[in-house]
Amino acid sequence: MDKVAHVNPDDLEKEALAAASEARSLTALSEVRVRYLGRQSVLKLALREVRDRDTGMTLNAVRETVESALATREAELARAELEERLATERVDVTLPAQLLGPPKLRPRGTLHPSTLVRRDVEDIFLGLGYEIVDGREVETTRYNFDALGFPDWHPTRSPRASLFLDDETLLRTETSPAQIHKMEERRPPIYMVSIGRVYRRDTIDATHFPIFHQYEGLAIDKGITLADLKGTLLHVMRELYGPEREVRFRTHYFPFTEPSMEPDVSCFNCGGAGCPVCKHSGWIEMGGSGMVDPYLYEFVGWGPEEYSGFAFGMGIERTAQLRYGISGIRPFWDNDLRFLRQFR
Amino acid sequence: MRIPLSWLREYVRVDASAQEIAAALSISTAEVNGVHRVGLPGELGLFRVGHVLEAEKHPDADRLQLTSVDVGEDRPYSIVCGAWNFGAGAKVAVALPGATLPNGLTLERRKLRGQMSEGMILAEDELDLGADHSGIIVLDDALEAGTPLADVLPLVDEVLDLEATGNRADLFAVYGVAREVAALLDGELLPMPGTDPQRDGEEPVGIAIEDPAGCLRFIGRLFRDVTVGESPLWLKARLRHAGVRTISNVVDVTNYVMLALGSPLHAYDLDLLRGGLVARRARKGEKVRTLDGVERTLSAEDLVIADGERAVGLAGIMGGEETEVSATTTNVLLEAANFEPVGILRSSERHALRTEGSNRWEKGVDPHVAGPAATYATQLIVELGGARWTGAEDVQTELPEPEVIRLRPERASELMGLDVAEAEQGEILGRIGFDQVRQGFRVPTWRARDVTREVDLVEEVARFKLPEIPFTLPRRDAMFGRLTRAQRLRRLVEEALVGAGYAEAYTPTFVAEGDLRLPEPLSAEAAALRTVIYASLLEPARRNSDAGEDDVALFEIARVYREVGADLPEEHWHAAGIADGGFAEAKWAVEQIYSALGLEPAYERTNEPFLHPGKAARTGEGWLGELHPALLDGVWGVFELDLDALAEAGPQVVAFEEVSPYPEVRQDLAFVVDEDVPSAEIFAAIREAAGGLLRELEVFDEYRNPETIGEGKRSLAFRLAFGSLEGTLTDEDVAPVRASIVDALATRFDAVLRA
Repeated sequence: MDKVAHVNPDDLEKEALAAASEARSLTALSEVRVRYLGRQSVLKLALREVRDRDTGMTLNAVRETVESALATREAELARAELEERLATERVDVTLPAQLLGPPKLRPRGTLHPSTLVRRDVEDIFLGLGYEIVDGREVETTRYNFDALGFPDWHPTRSPRASLFLDDETLLRTETSPAQIHKMEERRPPIYMVSIGRVYRRDTIDATHFPIFHQYEGLAIDKGITLADLKGTLLHVMRELYGPEREVRFRTHYFPFTEPSMEPDVSCFNCGGAGCPVCKHSGWIEMGGSGMVDPYLYEFVGWGPEEYSGFAFGMGIERTAQLRYGISGIRPFWDNDLRFLRQFR
Repeated sequence: MRIPLSWLREYVRVDASAQEIAAALSISTAEVNGVHRVGLPGELGLFRVGHVLEAEKHPDADRLQLTSVDVGEDRPYSIVCGAWNFGAGAKVAVALPGATLPNGLTLERRKLRGQMSEGMILAEDELDLGADHSGIIVLDDALEAGTPLADVLPLVDEVLDLEATGNRADLFAVYGVAREVAALLDGELLPMPGTDPQRDGEEPVGIAIEDPAGCLRFIGRLFRDVTVGESPLWLKARLRHAGVRTISNVVDVTNYVMLALGSPLHAYDLDLLRGGLVARRARKGEKVRTLDGVERTLSAEDLVIADGERAVGLAGIMGGEETEVSATTTNVLLEAANFEPVGILRSSERHALRTEGSNRWEKGVDPHVAGPAATYATQLIVELGGARWTGAEDVQTELPEPEVIRLRPERASELMGLDVAEAEQGEILGRIGFDQVRQGFRVPTWRARDVTREVDLVEEVARFKLPEIPFTLPRRDAMFGRLTRAQRLRRLVEEALVGAGYAEAYTPTFVAEGDLRLPEPLSAEAAALRTVIYASLLEPARRNSDAGEDDVALFEIARVYREVGADLPEEHWHAAGIADGGFAEAKWAVEQIYSALGLEPAYERTNEPFLHPGKAARTGEGWLGELHPALLDGVWGVFELDLDALAEAGPQVVAFEEVSPYPEVRQDLAFVVDEDVPSAEIFAAIREAAGGLLRELEVFDEYRNPETIGEGKRSLAFRLAFGSLEGTLTDEDVAPVRASIVDALATRFDAVLRA
């Protein structure tokens, strides 16, 4: 009891904290630890002998404060010692890698399946005489919605559906704004495909991810017809999925095309007889398409009937899923080498 | 929307199977995701009308009845039953042994407490007609024993799962779909259902529209002496097959008519209303408890239906709990209104409340259909609730006149790429309600929102002709099939890194912190746009490494975003990579990239908090180094380059040099220099001193030994090749060049030639 009476918790804490902050090395710090928290330390002895609750709580609070100060200081010192060690390790960064390592001999790496699809899509459209456009990802509502004829009530305009940076700026929800930029840049003929990341507010699960990749085509010229849209997509789908494929069109609705249609491709897995891949319908949905709404021509200041054109949009991941039989969206973003290395 | 075929066929006479109907709708109207059989799964012949001949308590079980039932066979069947709501003489629904119930159970002859039971007397839920299991179904006495039950009850149906698009509010109604089916398959569309019964009184209803922008029309009808109870089986089955819960006859009628005609309705308990109804904006802070039991605080933008004292419902979305129709209701006020779509959408979003009603209103319901909806509901409430219809009021704002749109048939053919005769175009439009008048076509009220221009009429024609439109390609007189410089550069970088053993990764655009923040982040880790790529690669590298992978090399090419004041953020393409093994790995990858682009960058020592301080370098276009060990366990090389900067740095043309036919003279030179003189500086000095004869130069060895070359020194060995287009060089020709190199290095770096 005597000893406890002599312990002034405040003084003890101050002293220990000062010692901790003055320790200049990990070795010195471990001595401090023994001195203030060791089995024979004043604090531990006092704690062992304490009988009343208040004193016990006070002393325990001191112990916790000192322990946490020691831990903080230990991290600081460890970092400092690491930095000190690193400072002595220098290489001549201008030397060639072969003299620095040499670097590991690694087997050839791989491109991501989405890149493989992207390149195929690019090559198909290059073959058709289309230019490839990247476009920006952060867009204004003017280009992402207004120019494309999205009505005020369209659900995609809501922050619940799309990712806004502020009231007028958002991550593009489709790659079509690039088409408006191109139309503002020059007069037809325009034959282009924009490819890249697009965004929507989605909760991540097996089939949803807030980011995916689209390719969207636009052809504007004199006298373009819906038949041209059908023929172009037939060609593209056969290039992507095989020369035996058939394409059919179903009527649909999109704000920026009129008439609007969804193209389906005959199932390459079952040939149209019905299987799980095509959900037993014989057809696989590919995306959206249609004739450019005259609203867009007016938006960029052209006459509504000077030109006509078609537009279409499809998913890169979806194409990869179909081609390689990948189920779900997670493998595309998990970056598991056991997955990635299969795409040679 | 789920459309039971039996219901559809009430409105359209057509000689087509469910599959044919689904296929035609899918191509020309809206996608049918499937045709599902609902109700009984198996053989229907084993379900019969039974006539209960005898019914008494089971001798050994107090809760069971033992019955003898005539099922149309040559002898009565003995059936044990747990229900008591019938007795001898009742006509009941019977399933015989061998029958399969909707839950998959197949019945067998079996003993129940010692008595043989040959089948089952059925309750609603056992036939999937309703949820009721309080007693068995008692059928009309006039039915004959042995009659197939399927003739009496809707035991099976086929249901179309139709996914209508947002522009077609008219397809959120069985009648609207029937209209399309008639047009597509040459069927006969029957008149809209519903006839007003005889009105039994002239009571005032007390309806008012205070907000004509939000409420275009408000019909109120009064009913007295209503018997609220269960709906008949046919109605329950219809709702059930359409995927709507059954509640009571009055509420079921409002839902049924909404599904039939597409205009949502609401019924109030008249005795709980305090005064007439008004459609108005909510007062700020006003509250209403909706039918789902949630008390909702309203904003001044919410449209409500209110009585004299308070809001009694969120207009078009959900009614109020306090005034709902219940089992004790005897007097009813029916609301058939028309609400403006955007306001309903906003309110529904604000309150995170989507209902069958809001789903229709937000797409724009035809205000003219409110009348037929009120009529049909009136007929059914009177029929099913034994009610007297005692009052009616229809308050309308000025409803828009149908528009007339001109159609140039040649323009339609031109856009389609298919010649369709004028007469056929007119005929197609006529079939879907567009009447030809002198100036063009009159748009039917149920399509007024969607069809406003000539091109919209073209779409109406095109959707009927889709399969006939040929496959052609545009006639071209300009071609653009070429990658841009930046795009070709990306492919080169991809190839270089794949060649160096890197696997391409795709990581999210989002990071936890950054200047460009999402006001509503996806999560704590996805709250801002990234400014670098490499940081996103650390986690995948760690995960692959933890999984036991000992060769981890990942790269990504993607965009980064930089805040630039008032303008849109700057977007740059970056390439970044990470590989196990330290500085040399990063250096090797970066060398591969530059070499693929035909560039020789200058490497300079640099310092970044995320890099090892002694193993970090930068080039004009990015940086590379060993990852700071505090960031990730293990030793990792990392790099990141700005591809847009690289595209600008790249040589535009190849500078060709003629190849000499004469052999080259090769010499190796090793110099001892101070440790901190970068090899690149010596390299540059050699090149400068060597002059025009130097063909090749590489550094091929680094050597340290304090005992032989001294502390703080190292030896660097260079391989040089000299040549000339003029003739074969000799050692004598090269000697002065070599001397000037040695001199230059001695002067600039105190370098001593070793060999």
